[in-house]
Amino acid sequence: MTSHNAAAGISRPKPRIKWGLILLNAFLLLVGFLMILPLIWAFLSSLKPSTDIVTQVPTFFPKTWTLEHYVELPRIAPFVRFFANSLIVSIVSAVFVIAVSVVGGYVFAKYHFRGRGLLLLLVIATIVIPMETYIIPLFLTIKSLGWVNKYAGLIYPTIISSTGIFFLRQHILTIPDELIDAARIDGASEFGVLRHVIFPNSVPAIAAITIVNWVYTWSLFLWPLIVASSNKLFTMEIGLMYFQRDNIIDYGGVLSAAVVTLLPILIFFLIFRTKIIAGIATTGMKY
Amino acid sequence: MAQSVAKPETGHSLTLGGRVRKLFGAAGTIRRQKAIFVVSTFVPMITLFIIIRVIPIGWVLSLAFTNFNLRRPKLFRFMGFENFARLLKDPVFSISFKNTMEFVLISVPVVLILGLVFALLINRKLKLEGLYQTLFFLPFILSSVPATIIWKWIYAPGKWGLANYLLESIGLDRVGWLTDPQIALLAVIVVYVWKNVGYYVVIFLVGLKNIPEEIREAAMVDGATRWQAIRYVDLPLIRSVMLFALVMATIAAFAVFTIVYVMSQGTDASAGVEISVLAMQMYQEGFTYSNMGYASAIAAILFVISCLAVIVQFRFFGREQ
Repeated sequence: MTSHNAAAGISRPKPRIKWGLILLNAFLLLVGFLMILPLIWAFLSSLKPSTDIVTQVPTFFPKTWTLEHYVELPRIAPFVRFFANSLIVSIVSAVFVIAVSVVGGYVFAKYHFRGRGLLLLLVIATIVIPMETYIIPLFLTIKSLGWVNKYAGLIYPTIISSTGIFFLRQHILTIPDELIDAARIDGASEFGVLRHVIFPNSVPAIAAITIVNWVYTWSLFLWPLIVASSNKLFTMEIGLMYFQRDNIIDYGGVLSAAVVTLLPILIFFLIFRTKIIAGIATTGMKY
Repeated sequence: MAQSVAKPETGHSLTLGGRVRKLFGAAGTIRRQKAIFVVSTFVPMITLFIIIRVIPIGWVLSLAFTNFNLRRPKLFRFMGFENFARLLKDPVFSISFKNTMEFVLISVPVVLILGLVFALLINRKLKLEGLYQTLFFLPFILSSVPATIIWKWIYAPGKWGLANYLLESIGLDRVGWLTDPQIALLAVIVVYVWKNVGYYVVIFLVGLKNIPEEIREAAMVDGATRWQAIRYVDLPLIRSVMLFALVMATIAAFAVFTIVYVMSQGTDASAGVEISVLAMQMYQEGFTYSNMGYASAIAAILFVISCLAVIVQFRFFGREQ
């Protein structure tokens, strides 16, 4: 490193650089702290008694610590059920999305047939068209299938990911044809090729897609809002709206529920931080 | 006619078995294997894709020209551009349209510029780079509803909210964050920018990291200042990333729903129709009043203007690639 710099003839005055760096780090730390300040403040406030949450003289730390809002949560709404529903949607969706993306990616990357270009163009075009714009026909579809307020309806639009298909296609393009042909000559069927060549060679790409899809399905809001009409089917996101119905907001309840809703994704994020960021950065997609 | 049928190369004279063999190859061949594979996996998959992602777009565009109402499906009829004519006179639509435009025109540049600036600041081989990425990215990864609800609490009205407390503590007057029509949309945009800026920081960071360090070093050797290196090396080389980010940001901003919806739900401390956006009005017309035709017209407008915006962006910024 230093020898490289010396060879390049660069000798930066060290003390000045260091001050700049300290300033830069201090600035980034400050802004980064401000980014999560609302979350920290909300978390600390959820541990305050109701009278201290909404007050004329707010404090950062609770004057008296209490778990009363968390204890009351299960009585207000079945949050465990909501959590399970969110989990069901994201898992079923992930299974479909992985299968569809691997098959679609393989065929788009390695097969030659008439209409491939057009189909691929459709896949790419639908990546950028938000679901909100065609949510009405999607709803009419599940209504005619009798899937309103059913799991099938809740999951229906999430089983296909244009991003997933395109991303896997881009990845599988990099798998050499020779590898596939060798497997075929060894007598592998196309399913065998998929299982023994394509799949093992696409694990990072599949992981990236799964993560992105998980984040996407977990944060779905408009679709479950129109499909789920009873709290048996509410997801975490919709369940929170429980607290928005009354005229007077129970801030203690709202904040503790918000914390409980945020917690699973926060833990997931902190564990798989680098993988998640890399996944979202490489697929480049929000969904 | 009879002659052409007799020509073998047209394929018309083949038996059914012959046709199958021509299309799918003989039994046991790789061609046959592939055909079985495609028919049993790819065909169902692409059919699902077309049913879920392609047909609904054409469907919503045609529904826009009807009066389809879920509660009165029998009155269904085509009405040409009547829905659009009605929208032009609809006061809620003019608010939603104006708000959506304002939302896009403010939030897109802000989120992109902030994202780029912080990506450039972080991209200096800092020891704490991982921490900064995490801090900036965290609001993006968290679900919108709880995040928005937290902000609603911060924006609580009168003397009760944190935002007003902070304003007063630096000697400013209180503001009706969600109740003052002048401010409510900006308050929503603040939340949106806070929530999404981290995504663009990460996207831009990836672009910046893909630039070989040698190019930047070469520029520095040639006497370029850091600013010049950014201006003449970094920015031109992440042009395609910038175009991608611009397109994604624009589309997402046009379709914004969740934050606006949560901010306007509930009577206490909530904003009302003054922060309505197109997706919000579409939801209300379609799913509260069951006016699917009218709602589809709004969706169609949303679809067309976001497509136009993306096409303009590609024309404008994608030209030199």
